[in-house]
Amino acid sequence: MSTQQEFYEKLATAVNDLDEEQTAALAREAVEKGYDAWETIEQGLVAGVDRAGKLFDEEVYFIPELLIAADAMYAGLDILKPHVKRSGEAHKAKVVIGVIQGDTHDIGKNLVRLMLDVGGFEVIDLGRDVPPQTFVDRAKEVGAEIIAIGTLMTTTMEGMAEVIRILNQEGIREEFIVIIGGAPISQSYADKIGADGYGSKASHAVYLAKQLLEKRKEVAA
Amino acid sequence: MSTATRPVPKKDQLSSLERVVLALQYKKPDRVPVAPLVCGASRRVTGISYARWSQDAEAATASLVAAQDLIGFDGFLTLVDLSVEAEDFGQKLIFPENGTAYPDFDDQYLKSADDYDKIKRVDPTKTRRMKTVIDIVHGLAKARGQTVPVMGFVYGPLGVLSQIRGHAELFKDLIRHPARVLEAVQTINLTLIDYAVAQVRAGAHAIVIDPLYSSATILKKETWNRFEGPFVGAIADAVREAGAAVIVHNCGDGVYFDKVIENINPVGISHAYPAYGSKSWTEHAENWGKKVVTIGGVDPAQVGHVLSQEGVRELSREHIETFKVADGGFILSTGCEFPPHGNLLSAKTMVEAGRLYGQYE
Repeated sequence: MSTQQEFYEKLATAVNDLDEEQTAALAREAVEKGYDAWETIEQGLVAGVDRAGKLFDEEVYFIPELLIAADAMYAGLDILKPHVKRSGEAHKAKVVIGVIQGDTHDIGKNLVRLMLDVGGFEVIDLGRDVPPQTFVDRAKEVGAEIIAIGTLMTTTMEGMAEVIRILNQEGIREEFIVIIGGAPISQSYADKIGADGYGSKASHAVYLAKQLLEKRKEVAA
Repeated sequence: MSTATRPVPKKDQLSSLERVVLALQYKKPDRVPVAPLVCGASRRVTGISYARWSQDAEAATASLVAAQDLIGFDGFLTLVDLSVEAEDFGQKLIFPENGTAYPDFDDQYLKSADDYDKIKRVDPTKTRRMKTVIDIVHGLAKARGQTVPVMGFVYGPLGVLSQIRGHAELFKDLIRHPARVLEAVQTINLTLIDYAVAQVRAGAHAIVIDPLYSSATILKKETWNRFEGPFVGAIADAVREAGAAVIVHNCGDGVYFDKVIENINPVGISHAYPAYGSKSWTEHAENWGKKVVTIGGVDPAQVGHVLSQEGVRELSREHIETFKVADGGFILSTGCEFPPHGNLLSAKTMVEAGRLYGQYE
């Protein structure tokens, strides 16, 4: 293993060990050493979060650990992002994500955002308690390919249907892939409201989004 | 299943109270009790706003009674929202006209980990929101307490704290500042014990304790056991001491039944998913059906928003069949609050399914 590879391994371990300060310190060190920022993000930060995600799937880590791993990753990302050479970055599909109006539980949404971030998407986070019309307006404004909507509550799930209703009403439904998720949501509910996809776990989000984008390309071709 | 093959519903032989009390003791009543947990949805029966339903005890009581008259469910649950206790500790809330009240997460009462000592014990009988719930319990007990079980509700101390600090921040504090969190949990719990006992004194037959984070989708079992297990256990002890039964409610996925039972020893657990370690309801019924009464089975979102009435009837029948192994210790329920905007007819259909398919010999 080269010195640089060892460094990335150290960075990944810092994220996976939930060490925010060490992650930030190593990110600064990477900049000082002149390491490629994008490579450092991918092989250090993203690798660390991937490991934390695997530990989450294996029930070694739970929500608190994953949240701190995410904090660590974002601490490093804040330092490295300004140094990324744009030309080295491939085109990223844009995802507009948010928690539907009336619901402020955003941990699940934040985990999906994290997964999509590290999975190669450009994520536009609308936050929580987002009105249906705002999802549509922002998706149009940024030229998003995907609209991702979450809710934890049975009280607010109908707002997801409202987003699709607005898209249909404006005659732009086919321009966006709509994916939904959250504790009360099921595939049958997604089918009922006409969403394109449903994910039962945050870790499924990247696979689902990529699969739907591929399907869309095939249809277009 | 066509209507032609459906059995004929028999007339109820027992009151709801008698039915539920027997079921909670694994004694077969006339039929499977049905509790679709119609709470906020009841406001639509009387046509009032959610904001009023949440804050006006008299109006909420009238709505719940009217909903019971309409639907015929076998128990009242005073789950108003999960922010009741939080407001009385100082958290600012938002009351939408047509939705559940929730904390203003942009204005948390505990803005940093240094703020935990702002949490002080309060007297629930002198507060705004907890007192409202106590009054609802009193109103229901007076109106229907002779025939319909009245179940009070207390959100666990860690849940209450998450409403005051913010969920994500609290979860991170469990790792970064465990001692401060524990101290706040302890203080909150003193109030919750008083609150639970006040509801019993107001006429509740049982208190439903919600340890929401005793779920594998959120916390490690040991973490929950450290930060909430013994505290909710103390609430349970106080409730039993005051003369009421203890029930647990947790609509999270993968509830740690072993630790919940060890700490709380409830007569029943209301839950929306099979217990941690059980892959299906059938497996759950086999593993836990005879150890603690299951209150649940049917998916609330499916019942309220997706299924036809025939679908609701069939889903209910399937769960009644699955829980026959429990020898009478089963209450058909949504295991989570009935969707406030869901089809109320579906709640009535669940009760009808109990009469059709849940008759005991």
